[in-house]
Amino acid sequence: MSSAGAGPRLPRAALARKSRGGAWLGVLLVLLTACGDARRAGPSAADLAAGPWEDVVLAAEGTRVVWRMWRGDPSINAFVDEWVAPRVRDRYGIELIAVEGSGQELVNQLAVERQAEARGASDLLWINGETFHNLRRMDLLDGPWSGSLPNSAAVDSTSPIIARDFEQDPAGFESPWGRVQFALIYDARRTPDPPRSFADLGLWILENPGRFTHDQSFTGITFLKMLMYSLGGGVEAFQGGFDEESYAVASERVWRWVEMRRDAFWRSGLAYPQEVAELHRLFANGEVDFSMSNNENEVITKVRQGTLPSTARPLLLRDGTIANTHFVGIAFNAPNPAGAMLVADFLLSPEAQLQKLRPEVWADGTVLDVDRLDPEWRERFADVADDPRALSRDSLRRYAVPEVAPEYHERLASDWRSRIRDRP
Amino acid sequence: MTTSSRGLLAALIVAAPVLVGITHAMLAAFGLTGLAGIEPGWGRAHAVLTDVTTWRSLAWSLWAAAASTVLAFAGAVLIASLFRSSSRTDALARALATLPLAVPHVAAAFVGLLILGQSGVLARISYAFGWIATPADFPALVYDPAGTAFIMTLAAKELPFLALIAFSLLASETDRLEETARSLGAGPLEVFRHVTFPLLWRGLLPATVAVFVFVFGTYEAAAMLGPSRPTPLPVLAMERYAGASLAQRADAFVLSLLALVLALAAVAAHELLRRRRWEVAG
Amino acid sequence: MTLGSARTPLRSLLLTGLGILAVAPLLLLLITSISRSWFWPALLPVPSADSWAALIAGTSGGRLSGAALNSLALALATGLLASALSLPLGRALAGLRGWRRSLGAGAAFLPVAAPPIALGIGLQFTFLTLGLGGSFMGVLLAHLVPALGYATLYFLGVFAVYDDRLEDEARTLGASPTQVFRRVTLPRLGRPLLEAALLGFLVSWAQVPLTILVGQGLVPTLAVEVLGLVQSGQDALAATGSLLLIIPAIFMLMAAALAIRRVEAVPV
Repeated sequence: MSSAGAGPRLPRAALARKSRGGAWLGVLLVLLTACGDARRAGPSAADLAAGPWEDVVLAAEGTRVVWRMWRGDPSINAFVDEWVAPRVRDRYGIELIAVEGSGQELVNQLAVERQAEARGASDLLWINGETFHNLRRMDLLDGPWSGSLPNSAAVDSTSPIIARDFEQDPAGFESPWGRVQFALIYDARRTPDPPRSFADLGLWILENPGRFTHDQSFTGITFLKMLMYSLGGGVEAFQGGFDEESYAVASERVWRWVEMRRDAFWRSGLAYPQEVAELHRLFANGEVDFSMSNNENEVITKVRQGTLPSTARPLLLRDGTIANTHFVGIAFNAPNPAGAMLVADFLLSPEAQLQKLRPEVWADGTVLDVDRLDPEWRERFADVADDPRALSRDSLRRYAVPEVAPEYHERLASDWRSRIRDRP
Repeated sequence: MTTSSRGLLAALIVAAPVLVGITHAMLAAFGLTGLAGIEPGWGRAHAVLTDVTTWRSLAWSLWAAAASTVLAFAGAVLIASLFRSSSRTDALARALATLPLAVPHVAAAFVGLLILGQSGVLARISYAFGWIATPADFPALVYDPAGTAFIMTLAAKELPFLALIAFSLLASETDRLEETARSLGAGPLEVFRHVTFPLLWRGLLPATVAVFVFVFGTYEAAAMLGPSRPTPLPVLAMERYAGASLAQRADAFVLSLLALVLALAAVAAHELLRRRRWEVAG
Repeated sequence: MTLGSARTPLRSLLLTGLGILAVAPLLLLLITSISRSWFWPALLPVPSADSWAALIAGTSGGRLSGAALNSLALALATGLLASALSLPLGRALAGLRGWRRSLGAGAAFLPVAAPPIALGIGLQFTFLTLGLGGSFMGVLLAHLVPALGYATLYFLGVFAVYDDRLEDEARTLGASPTQVFRRVTLPRLGRPLLEAALLGFLVSWAQVPLTILVGQGLVPTLAVEVLGLVQSGQDALAATGSLLLIIPAIFMLMAAALAIRRVEAVPV
């Protein structure tokens, strides 16, 4: 008779290893044992904003903050995971966990959570534009709270780029965090004389078939939006709220422009990279000659990391490129609004703003009015070395155009999909 | 509890989550669950079912699944027939053929991307030999509308599964029958055509259906290697669920139902084929 | 035996092909994992051990080590649970006859055939309502849905050809039903239990859509991390992650194969 038992014990030794992974496991065990409660136990961010700041700091001590953000850029991930997280841990005892979650996906997620009356899972949200619009519309954001942050006093609220998010008033429901300007990316070696306007670009595409495309996500739609401004006679035609008629006329022009050049797009316009990172890969490997970024200085960071070739350069178009601000918000069902507020405040600190401004870190613009800071900070900001490849601040200012109402972005995104990508 | 009711209870337990999922998808597709943004009624479902995009995506996924399955089946039969002895070489071949079982689809798709991309390994080797000058000269296999890279990668990934079953089939049932045929004077090719292959074919059919429906529904490989137009059905479903406006979430439920209906059809086909096999063997 | 004299060159060709197919991907992943830049048309990359260093140091690669441990825990739990639960389920299904048997087998196949994305979309709301969203438990239960299907189908096959005579003999010799189960049935089922556990392990280990939809980003797993890394252009880390995905699975397969051989070596 067989005496063989149930076979060898499967290795569990790995679980006992103490490492950062162990911290993750601990986090998960907490999640596992935490009972689900549909409603948040403590005060909301709006409540906390009304009280003294010390209460917020106290309530946040030793807690965990889950931050939903776009994780598609390793430089940003590194900044958050390796610079911000250790500091908020050391100073405030906060454990910051950044997870993927942005755009419409985030809106849908929170909407489902509200419907299912599920336990909230996210605290801080990295948002702007149409995402903010949808979250506000569906009452999925906590607030107002951003005015109560101590560091918010130094924010450059006179700048129209910062004071408005896609023409919307943040109204305290989101706190500004950084600002960027759109730029194309080209290779100085391959394309020594790149096109400098949409008209030139249009010609270039026809003359160099199969060497240009855009991504399907935020950056690609921003590109189309700029095209819309250009074909519509400038951004002024689209300011002052969403107008269906203006959109209809302008978008038709955009589709016609694209369709005229569709066969000259990469892969004859039949395939588009899903994310901008994939477009970078195509560009770096010579499959296309242009990439693009919402951050004018992303080139610099990426070249340093080896993701883009050293001959890559940023490029502004004379028609103007979009400058916008990105923000952080707090979810309506955030389990830890105090922690979220504290992290948001830290992100506004001169220290954090300076760090992410550095070209080797992220090259993300600051939302602070540097002139209002202490002299030593002013100096440090001024000292941040401008990489020789970076676009000059003058040209950035000259060619900056603001965002318009979020519906333009949403409509362009969905209409592009049905009209161009999925064309009947 | 009788044997019969015990069995049916077991069946219910295993199938329950899928039934719950189907029910919810049906309710949600018609806006009956009160999910925000979805109007109650036939509206969204009608829009999706009359949209060409839906059927193109479905057709693409069916095509890609069929092509991958056929290739995997052919490969499995070939390898099983050629390497069936107990010699060390044959055992090695069988082990090598089974190795990809350990590779999860997401890793396999990444490897496919690295190898088959226009600026991938094969392309660079071609460039080194002077056969091509730019990435565009290399055939477009990844993201192409025919799904070439996807089909190649999935066929390579599913082959081990079918091969494993083929090995055990050849090791057991067929020896006797083959010897009989040979003793009656049949040549090797005739033995293969009239004895070996039919047995392999019948034995592998249920698993082949499983492979088909699996490739049809796989998400990550389609997202990484598939075309933008038509968008593979699983990718389209995810896009409508997570990446589109709230109203379009209803689309995702409808698309999921389509996929699940197909899965049900596959289940029925699988069962029919299994029963036929018993009847033949019996 | 089958294809005559044309066999040998074809066999050699195929054998080489199989060898390349087995080894080349691993080699490619290894090279990619130590690459800093690898642009067209370079055949070898600009090297950098950063991704492995990050993995060990637990920095940006710390996501990988955390995710790997999570995946391991999930997969082991799924395998063990699926195996244990599917034994009685498969046995019960094997007792059915006729149309009921078809229904039963079909029921077991359903969670296998259902595309995980469709399953996830259909079940997400239910999971969230039950408070299982974004939790380890929730993802485990989600993984169990297909895993249980695979394992039950497997045990259905095992019990369909199971020879009861040993059990009958033991009973005629006076053993009680419990004794029969513990000392006759269970040892015989050692190998099937292992194989079913392995099935469940692999189903969970490689799972992507269910983890995304139920875990909501809060339950990092290796497979989902790798997908994210590829989509964000971090090829070196994606390659490291892929190797982390593949190598343990290979070991699992090999360990199971060896264990099975050991189990079978003992005369029954």
